[in-house]
Formats: sequence, structure tokens, C-alpha cells
Amino acid sequence: MASSSTSVVVSNKEKENKNTKKVTLKSSDGESFEVDESVAMESQTIKHIIEDGCANNEIPLPNVTSGILSRVIEYCKKHKEAAGESEPSVTSYTSNSTTNPLTEWDTEFVKVDQNTLFDLILAANYLDIKGLLDLTCKTVADMMKGKTPQEIRETFHIKNDYTPEEEAEVRKENQWAFE
Amino acid sequence: MLLSVFTEDLLVRVYIKLGSESDRKTWRLVCKDFLRVDSVTRRSLRVLRSEFLHGLLTKFKNLDTLDLSVCPRIEDATVSVMLSQAVNSVSWTRWVTRLVLSRASGLRYGGLERLVGACPCLVVLDVSYCWVYGDREAWAISSVRGLRELRMDKCLGVSDVGLAKIAVGCGKLERLSLKWCMEISDLGVDLLCKKCLELKSLDVSYLKVTSESLRSIASLPKLEVLAMVGCPFLDDYGLQFLEHGCPSLQELSAMVLYSLKDLKNLNTIRIDGAQVSDSSFQTFSTNCKSLVEIGLSKCVGVTNMGIMQLVYGCVGLKIVNLTCCRFITDEAISALTNSCRNLVSLKLEACDKVTEKSLDQLGSCCLQLKELDLTDCCGVNDKGLKYLSRCSELLSLKLGLCTNISDKGLAYIAHNCIKISELDLYRCTSIGDDGLAALSSGCKNLTKLNLSYCNGVTDRGVQYIGRIGELSDLEMRGLVNLTSEGLTAVAAGCKKLSDLDLKHCGKIDDSGFWALSYYSRNMRQINMSHCAVSDVGLCMVLGNLTRLQDVKLVHLMNVTVKGFELALRACCVRIKKAKLIGSLRFLLSTEILETLHARGCKIRWE
Repeated sequence: MASSSTSVVVSNKEKENKNTKKVTLKSSDGESFEVDESVAMESQTIKHIIEDGCANNEIPLPNVTSGILSRVIEYCKKHKEAAGESEPSVTSYTSNSTTNPLTEWDTEFVKVDQNTLFDLILAANYLDIKGLLDLTCKTVADMMKGKTPQEIRETFHIKNDYTPEEEAEVRKENQWAFE
Repeated sequence: MLLSVFTEDLLVRVYIKLGSESDRKTWRLVCKDFLRVDSVTRRSLRVLRSEFLHGLLTKFKNLDTLDLSVCPRIEDATVSVMLSQAVNSVSWTRWVTRLVLSRASGLRYGGLERLVGACPCLVVLDVSYCWVYGDREAWAISSVRGLRELRMDKCLGVSDVGLAKIAVGCGKLERLSLKWCMEISDLGVDLLCKKCLELKSLDVSYLKVTSESLRSIASLPKLEVLAMVGCPFLDDYGLQFLEHGCPSLQELSAMVLYSLKDLKNLNTIRIDGAQVSDSSFQTFSTNCKSLVEIGLSKCVGVTNMGIMQLVYGCVGLKIVNLTCCRFITDEAISALTNSCRNLVSLKLEACDKVTEKSLDQLGSCCLQLKELDLTDCCGVNDKGLKYLSRCSELLSLKLGLCTNISDKGLAYIAHNCIKISELDLYRCTSIGDDGLAALSSGCKNLTKLNLSYCNGVTDRGVQYIGRIGELSDLEMRGLVNLTSEGLTAVAAGCKKLSDLDLKHCGKIDDSGFWALSYYSRNMRQINMSHCAVSDVGLCMVLGNLTRLQDVKLVHLMNVTVKGFELALRACCVRIKKAKLIGSLRFLLSTEILETLHARGCKIRWE
């Protein structure tokens, strides 16, 4: 049985009085976050839960800790606001304009330590938030740009499971076989 | 940490965001899981050596494009190897939509038939420059029912019979190029136009077709692009038919242009060597206001007045080619730049009346300019380059034969046009080492550079070139002051170098070529004619550079016949083209010549 708290809220960005529905999200470590339903629906996973009428008092998210969840919510809020302010076609972070203020915000947003970045990727994947997933994966890809394989292994603590012969084989292929 | 946390599909997402091919190649080397991600996600493969073919095709199962155009020795037997699969595995051919077999003339109808037959999703096929191909190969191609795009440029043996087979078999064809297929006549074209009604783009350049073909072509309901360059038997009578047919015709290349006045949707027109008059431009200006590209290279009758009339109506022009329109002056360029602010490409080769005033106009009005050709424009000077440097979006700049520019002018360009990737300074004799210093500090994106005959350049200047890491194409003909020291600096610094021309650099000896053979692993094409290399140097270069496919080795005075033998033997497996001095034809052993021929290498004798 769905029940949601209704409250009359005038947000800074909205010009008219509106009833904004809220939902509560519960992190894996038991913390609750109340957010506008429209913001929460940036996540396709949550959107489906709500639309299927399964959102009771709270939506539990056992895969996401509170630290990560609060960041994710911050991302969704920011992007939802930006979508509301300008024409829909201009707001995605993937827009070409490098002076787009949202791009700058996104760049700052992903300036976090590696563990947090990976947790954000997992959360974005689990919650199905395309923009965040693209942004965080691109950040990881950018961290690999121009590095040697050994540097990449060191940065991401990856074990080299090639034998010297196998590695030489792949190097040979890279050099002479194709492009 | 990354691996234990990420599933394969997340790794794929990261992989897809990698920007460059070199990053993807590095990715493959990190660990086995990464290698598998690459194998599963890579869509396009351009194979360089046939001995890797089987291994690669076993690894990459999700290809949509396979390009064998630079792979030497593709033959029918190769196809057997390519199609041999483990019984229970999915073949690489499953999703292939695009097959590029350009220049693979070793492949004949048997192999071709099996190869195209194995690819159920094939939609695009390129067999251009397979000059031995004929009707039998056309028959093999006609079995590809879903074919949409076919390029058969220079398939000299294809006749009306072969074309008919294709027309009947490939009814969904949308793009077809028959350039240089000289056996084709009106009959073939007529049948094609009756059967392939989806055709949007057709190239019949250089065919011996007459106006009858134009009548057939004019009936194609969806035609947008038509190329008929150099058709000797075409005349004005035929062109009339285009006036009433082809309602969606968007691009036309032709020798004569009268019948175009009804083509309201025309956005591109290219006419080489045509006779035009001021009234032609009046026509364009009134009727073809959506014109975006106009090519008037070597046209007779292009005047200032004509251009001014043209740009009055056609303000959307982005690409303008005025090569050899010698009567054009600053006045016309001024009108052009004021009207067409979105100009992206401008070619003014041999327009010697153009001065710095025009460049001032360009630098003020056309800031989107990406491509500019000022070859042989002697009116261009340092001041002009200063004005031009305001066009900071410039990607390609040609200043060949501009003898009035010096290092000072080049410095303006080097400091402000930092996106430049292509620069031609052929015979700019006043360019020297200081200009190259400026270039190396400002233009980090330079990939193609021509310094041929800039004989003021010495080793000092060339060493600066070694700092331009992205350089892949370098022409340094006739740099008589260049020694091995300079060449070593370039080889060591420009790791991506793949095309190098050192003709007449007579002071470069073995030590320079040693460096080249050590560092320049990506070298694909080299001209060493008239250099001071000896047997040892030549062997090192031809033996060590495993990607080398095209070599020019004329007038190597210090190389003996034995030296040539050894060197050619070392690379006979991979060389595709070689240019050698004529006397060697009788001095080299028949064995080596036969081996080279059998391996598919084409030798040109000087």
C-alpha cells in the first residue's frame, strides 16, 4: 500500500506552488534520506519500484552505503535542477560546450579517492543512473590515458597474470598484427 | 581492487570510454581479463599481416568491419584459413556488415564467393582497385542479397554482363561506384537503373557512356549524388534529361553545367575545368541558395564579378575551391568573406593576385576556417600570416611555393593556430631553423609536415621536429644540410612516423638509417632515393621495420647489387611496392624477382 508524505513546498527553482511528493531511501547502514520523488526517479531502478507501487514507507538499498548514497543524491539533485532550468536538450553532461557549468560541477564531483569512485560506479550501475555511470566510467578511462600497462596495474592494483611469453605475444600482436 | 569489484560489463563500459587506439592497445596488455574485454568489444579490425589473420579472427567474435586492404597476399587459400572454425564456436563472420577488400587482387571469384557467402549480414563491400576482377567476381558479389553499398572502382574486367548480374541480385543497392570500369556501356547502366531503384549515389566517372545513360539515370527516383567526371561521350543533349528527372538530386560533378537551373535542392556542385561565365553565377545565386560547397578548380571564366554575384545569393557557402582561378583578386575574396561567415574550407592554389588584404579579411570574418590552401600564391607574406593567425581553428594550411614568407610569419601561425595538424611549406626557401623551433613549441597536434627543398633548414632545426610527438607524415626532400644527426633526432622523437621522404638528402648515411631502423617501428612508406646509405644501412632498414610496405630506392650509389639482394630478401614477405633503378632489373637474380612477384610485390623500374 503506497503512502507518501505530501507537503507543500516551494523550492527555490520552481516558480509556482506545487505539491512535491517525497520518498525515503534507506542505505545499507540504516541511514534514511528523504528526497523529492522526481529526484529519486533519476534512478531507473527506483523509478520502477515506485511505478510498480512497491514503495512503502522506505525503499531499502542494501547495496549502497550512506556515504555513497548521499553523493548519489547530490548528483541527482543537481542534474534534475539543471534539467528544470534550461531547455531539455542542453543539459546532459555530455553536451559539447566546455563552458557548460554542469560539466564543471561534474568534474569537481568525481574528484574523489579511488575507492569512492568505484563505489559510485557500482551504485550508479545498481541504481541504473546512466549519466552518473557514464561520468564515472569516463573518469576511470581518463585515468588510464597515456599510461603504460605497468602504470595502470599500479594505479588500480591489478595483478599481472600474463606469463612473459603470453605478454610478448600480445605485444607482438599490438605492434604488427592489426590496427 | 578494480577486478574483484567490477563485472565484465562494467569493464566494457570503461573500455568504451577510452579515447584512442593506443590506449586500447595498452589496455590489452594489462591483464587477461582486460584482453578478453577488448576481444569482445572491438568492432573494427584492419589487419596488417596475413600470418596473424587466423589468430585474430578466432579472438574477435563481434566484428562488424573487417579491412584487409593493407594486408599483403590475400588469396583464395587465405580464405580457407579465415573460415576454418572450431565446430562449436560462433564464427567471426556472424555480425560482419562491412568488408574492405580493396587492392586484394590475389583473391579471385572462388575465394570471394566463399568469403561473402559466409557473412550473412554483409551490407557494404569494397573491392576497388582489384584490377583483375571481371564478370565472374561480379557473379560472386551478386549473391549478396542485402548489399547496400558497393565500390568497384577500377575493376577493369567487369562488363555489362557482370553489372547485370549485380543489378538483378542486389536489388537493395543504394550506393554504387563503377569509376574506371571501362567495359561498361549504356546497356549495363540502363539495366541497373531499371532494377536498382533504391540507388541514392552513383559514380559513372570515366565510363564510355553516352546521353542514353543519362536518360536512364534520370529515372532513378531517389538519386542524390551523381558523379560523371571525364565521361568522354557525354554531351549537352544528355544533360537536359537531368533537368526534368532526379527530383532529389543534391550533388553533381560534371564537365558542363547548363541544365542546373531547376535544381533547387542542390547543396554541392563540383565542376573541373568547365567553361563558366558571370551568368552561370547569376543562376546559382538566384536558384541555388542552399549551396554549401562549390568546386571551380581550373574552371575557365571565373571573374571577380562572378564570385561577387555568387556570394550575394549563396551566403551559406562553407567549402569553396578556386584552384587556378587566376583572375581572382582581393576584391572577390573580400566579398566572399563578408557574405559567407561560416567558411570552413578555402582553396586558392595559384591565385597569385591574392595579397595580405585577403588574409586580413579571413582573419576578421571567417574564424571557423579549418582548411586553407595558398600554394603558389606569391602575394602571401609575413604580414598576411599575422592576420591569418587569428583563425585559430585552422587544421590544414598549405603554403607551398610561397617564397615571400619567412620564420617571422611562421611564428605567428605557430603560436596562435595551435590546432594545426597539416602544414605544407614545400619550397618555402626563406623558412629556416628558427621557424621550426616556433613550430615545435606551438603546434603539438601536427601530424603532417612538408619541408621539401627548404634548404635553409639544418640539423638544428630538424632536431626541433623531433619534439613533435604526433608527427606521422614527414617530407624532407632536398634538405642538403641534413645529416644523420638530424634524422636520428626525428626518429627518436617522432614515434608515430609512418611516411618519410628523404629523397636527395645526400648527406644522410648509415648511422641515420640505423636510428630509423631502431626507432621507427610504425614506418609504412619510405623514400630513400639519392641518400648516402650503404649495404648495411639498407639491410637494417628493410630488415627491421616490419611494417614497411612501400620503398623507393633509386640511385643509392653506395649500395651494391649484393646489398640490394640481401635487403630485398629480408623484406620480401611484406613489401607491396618498390621503386628501383632500371639497371637492377638485369643485375638482380631471377630468384629474388620471382619471389617478390609471387608475394604480390609490384616493382617500378626507374
